[in-house]
Amino acid sequence: CTAVIRKHGYIPTDEELDSVIVGVDTVETLESTVGSPSGRGILKDGDWFYVESLWKNYGYREPKEIDRQVVAIRFDDKGVVSNVERFGIEDGQVVALSRRVTDSGISGVGFLAQMFGSFGNLTGSALTGN
Amino acid sequence: CGGNSSKDIPLETFTPEEIYTRAEFDLEAGDPEEAARLFGEVERLYPYSEWAKRALIMQAFSYHRDQDYENSRIAAQRFIDFYPAEEDVAYAQFLLALSYYDQIDEVGRDQGLTYQALQQLRLVIERHPDSEYARSAILMFDLAFDHLAAKEMEIGRYYLKKGHYAAAINRFRVVIEDFQTTSHTPEALMRLVESYLALGFVEEAQTAAAILGYNFRSTVWYQDSYELLKGQGLEPGLFGANWMGKFYRQAIRGEWL
Amino acid sequence: QDYTFSSFSIDGNLRVDSATIMTYMGIAQGQTLSAGELNAAYQNLVGSGLFESVEINPRGNTLGVKVVEYPTINEISIEGNKRIKDDALFTVVRSQPRLVFNPTVAEQDAASLVEAYEIGGRLAATVTPRIIRRSENRVDLVFEVTEGQTVDIERLTFVGNRAYSDTRLRRLLGTKQAGIFRTFVKSDTFVADRIEYDKQVLTEFYTARGFVDFEAVSVTSELSRERDGIFVTFRIKEGQQFSFGNLTVSSEFANIDPATYQRLIKIKSGKDFSPARIEAAIIRMENKALKDGHDFVRVDPQIVRNDRTRTLDVEFALVRGPRIFIERIDIEGNTTTLDRVVRQQFRAVEGDPFNPREIAQSAERVRALGYFEDAEVNTREGSTSDNVIVDVDVVETTTGSLNLGVAYSTNDGPGLNLGYTQTNLLGRGQTFSFNISTVSDENSVNVAFSEPYLYGRDLRFDIDLGRITTSNTTQQYDTTRDTISPSIDFPVSERGRLGLRYRFLDTSLYNSSEDNSRLVNADVGERSDNVLGYFYTFDSRRSKIDEDYSYVLRFGQNFGYIDDDPFMRATLLAGAETNALDGLITLRAIVEAGSYTVYNGGKSRITDRYSQTTGKMRGFENFGTGPRDLNAVNQDSLGGNLFSVLRLEADFPIGLPEEYGITAGLFFDVGSIWGLDDTAGGPTDAACPVVDCTVDDAFHLRSVVGLAVYWNTPLGPLRFNFTKAIKKEAYDVEQPFELTVTSKF
Repeated sequence: CTAVIRKHGYIPTDEELDSVIVGVDTVETLESTVGSPSGRGILKDGDWFYVESLWKNYGYREPKEIDRQVVAIRFDDKGVVSNVERFGIEDGQVVALSRRVTDSGISGVGFLAQMFGSFGNLTGSALTGN
Repeated sequence: CGGNSSKDIPLETFTPEEIYTRAEFDLEAGDPEEAARLFGEVERLYPYSEWAKRALIMQAFSYHRDQDYENSRIAAQRFIDFYPAEEDVAYAQFLLALSYYDQIDEVGRDQGLTYQALQQLRLVIERHPDSEYARSAILMFDLAFDHLAAKEMEIGRYYLKKGHYAAAINRFRVVIEDFQTTSHTPEALMRLVESYLALGFVEEAQTAAAILGYNFRSTVWYQDSYELLKGQGLEPGLFGANWMGKFYRQAIRGEWL
Repeated sequence: QDYTFSSFSIDGNLRVDSATIMTYMGIAQGQTLSAGELNAAYQNLVGSGLFESVEINPRGNTLGVKVVEYPTINEISIEGNKRIKDDALFTVVRSQPRLVFNPTVAEQDAASLVEAYEIGGRLAATVTPRIIRRSENRVDLVFEVTEGQTVDIERLTFVGNRAYSDTRLRRLLGTKQAGIFRTFVKSDTFVADRIEYDKQVLTEFYTARGFVDFEAVSVTSELSRERDGIFVTFRIKEGQQFSFGNLTVSSEFANIDPATYQRLIKIKSGKDFSPARIEAAIIRMENKALKDGHDFVRVDPQIVRNDRTRTLDVEFALVRGPRIFIERIDIEGNTTTLDRVVRQQFRAVEGDPFNPREIAQSAERVRALGYFEDAEVNTREGSTSDNVIVDVDVVETTTGSLNLGVAYSTNDGPGLNLGYTQTNLLGRGQTFSFNISTVSDENSVNVAFSEPYLYGRDLRFDIDLGRITTSNTTQQYDTTRDTISPSIDFPVSERGRLGLRYRFLDTSLYNSSEDNSRLVNADVGERSDNVLGYFYTFDSRRSKIDEDYSYVLRFGQNFGYIDDDPFMRATLLAGAETNALDGLITLRAIVEAGSYTVYNGGKSRITDRYSQTTGKMRGFENFGTGPRDLNAVNQDSLGGNLFSVLRLEADFPIGLPEEYGITAGLFFDVGSIWGLDDTAGGPTDAACPVVDCTVDDAFHLRSVVGLAVYWNTPLGPLRFNFTKAIKKEAYDVEQPFELTVTSKF
């Protein structure tokens, strides 16, 4: 079996990251050099972060994240870059996801309605029996 | 079985009132489709009578009762165009919104109808604020709005389960920013705690948990995130853990989380 | 100057009541109005489209409004139309019963009716709207139609074509020359916009063969005297034919070495220049960049033309594409299919760099699901300039089919067949099917379920349960075969999948007549086996790069025990398909082989051995070939432990217009069934009538040549086989004609 490696997400190249000057660059100036982030902090002008990970797909096994690069650009309250942090997969925590789901309150189409709901095509095998 | 069907009587000979009452009779007798046809005839034969106006709104109602939403919309829209000043216009607008609202399906499926329902409900609320339908329109608006949030959550959980935390974070942020009045905000905040922790952003996770605690302290979501942050993490139930349970839960019951 | 009105006098309105007129005008009592505002109110009233005429005249502080309403339409009818039915025509008519009659709308309706006829090729059709007054200011609207004659193309000629003949070009075009089937075929009627399409087809044909300067100059058409035929002439300028010069690769990226991409070009210089080959090379290069994890790579072909040598040099430049990300993937229109079933076809995740090639491949995978009539994937600007939103609009199709029908198979005669299949169970992408079929002497019950993404992974789970009972087909005994067979399969490479299967098999053979061969009666009784096996499938079409040939390999082995003797069954199928003469002829070669061996001296049973089902070799009846016990009264065919067959096929059109969907093919099958564990044949309870009753189970080659006629019916592709055996054993039983469903591989 050959494993298929796939890349997801994006982090800026090292040169681009080095061009970010702590204490000078602001949200606006970064937009052009480093590009919009993969995600943002939760507060209005929260920090920026980029995530890039390599996934290994191997046969029937669930795709496995084998490497993750995370870059966080911290801003102070005036929107000026205060720090650029880099960390990898080892800093992440394995989290057991809660299986609770907020009930959407609207029930779907009944089981039988769906089973016999979409009808229409007659297949050729009806004529020849094999 | 019942009297002669009204299809074959030459309607031209009847007065509008007679056809109208016949249609009302069919509606009560549980044949909304026939009632809708007869109401249509009243309007066609006597377009200027007072009956035509009432027949048009009744036609929209009958089609709706018959779950023929398409025709119900056409009739309701015609009423709105022809009699904008009429007091029943609020009801016609409401019927139009109902025709989309009743078709909203399970969260996992197409939300095109939810958008339509929201637009029509907004018209009812804005144009007829003091009509008796405005109150239930507001209620239904919130429910439909909640439904859209549920769709964002569904996609967010899809990416969360697959481990694409950045994509999941963006979807949950949409819920917090655009849908904060819906019932999904607590869960969205808790999912953010999970995602930020998974990436290693501990302060962000704590901020999210703090907002959750401040606004939704009594919810079960706050308990979950509190546990998570304290590092104990959740103990998965015995039944759910092994692959057999997982197969039953995911492939048969369709709960794929 | 200004006006203020305290009262309004509105008259002339019958259906529309005064309150409605007031709302349209938007004037309130005691409101001061400028002349402009008054005029605006007048315009609103006219704009409502409800009134034939509107007059307003201010008299002091009362505003007089006099309107004449348009009548309401009572009924609409179309008279004089034969070729196109009413309901088809009504789709273009915008006037509706119960709505207001508007003369301009009626005129437009008449015009669109005339256009509907023009598209059908009847240029001489005319439509006139007429009104019949009714009581209570109502009118009936009648469209009177005179259809006139269709206009056919008598002759279609080309001027300026040196490289390709008239007939070769004529076969390309949508517009066909009227042939003897004139009344049947629709595409020989003259329609202007089809000519534009034909010009496009000609241009593509020539540019794909190196005529880069080709130009479809003009198309002239003259009407024949009797006005029922047209002569169409295409005037074209071919220009010179160019071929590929030298082909190079250059790269802007430091970490990409152009040499590795050089061999992906796969175009030999000197070959005819064709844009399609360049496009194919670009696809291969961009796919490689995608696989190697380089983002934002775009391949830009720079072409240098040298007229002296009539060659074109192509430099494939790897350049940095625009830095764009996928902000969201929004799926709409999925009324039954769940969002995740569509979303999991996308390898790209929200937030990934945007790669158009990857999105196109994902769209292909969504379409291949078979749940949608149409799956449109397009992108639009996201919330910031370097973000894009991928919109997936799908239209669901019917994925459930309940087939209830009479089935006729030339082998087993008529039978009833009831089946339910749902390929998108509950919108979760799972498949469930249930079939009962009772062809005269073989009836089967079968239930199958499959989940393509078990545990959300690319791991397919299948299970099927079935019972097949045969009674007295070409053999004088009955069999029952029950199977329960779960299996899983998963990808092991880009185009290969490996599967593991367990099968519980219970076979029994009974009602065997004493006249049957001793060897058949030895197998009477019931036996159940537990079989474990693996199967490997490779299919080049799983992610088709661009080759115009495709090949398939299927290989599997099953292991089990009979009492305490182990057995092994190996099966192999290898097939390849390509086309020749510009896709005119399809060539197909399939090799199939199987072996069933029982170890420790155990004996195979007739129900386990290979028999001649027509699928393997055409031209013979079921059990028609293979070892046969000639000394038994019924001379039963015993099947064989081994079989191999080679099938060569060539399909080609037979000149009938494609609308009929009839094509033909020649095929040649050669192969055999042989090998028995026990060859001591002869009657069951009598001594051997001749000196030696051993059954000849040696390898005897059989070969058959045949003509196939394919017919695409709405029920599905049917295939009629006419065969003639060239080499066969005297005791083989031929079957010169057969009707089946066309199945490729």
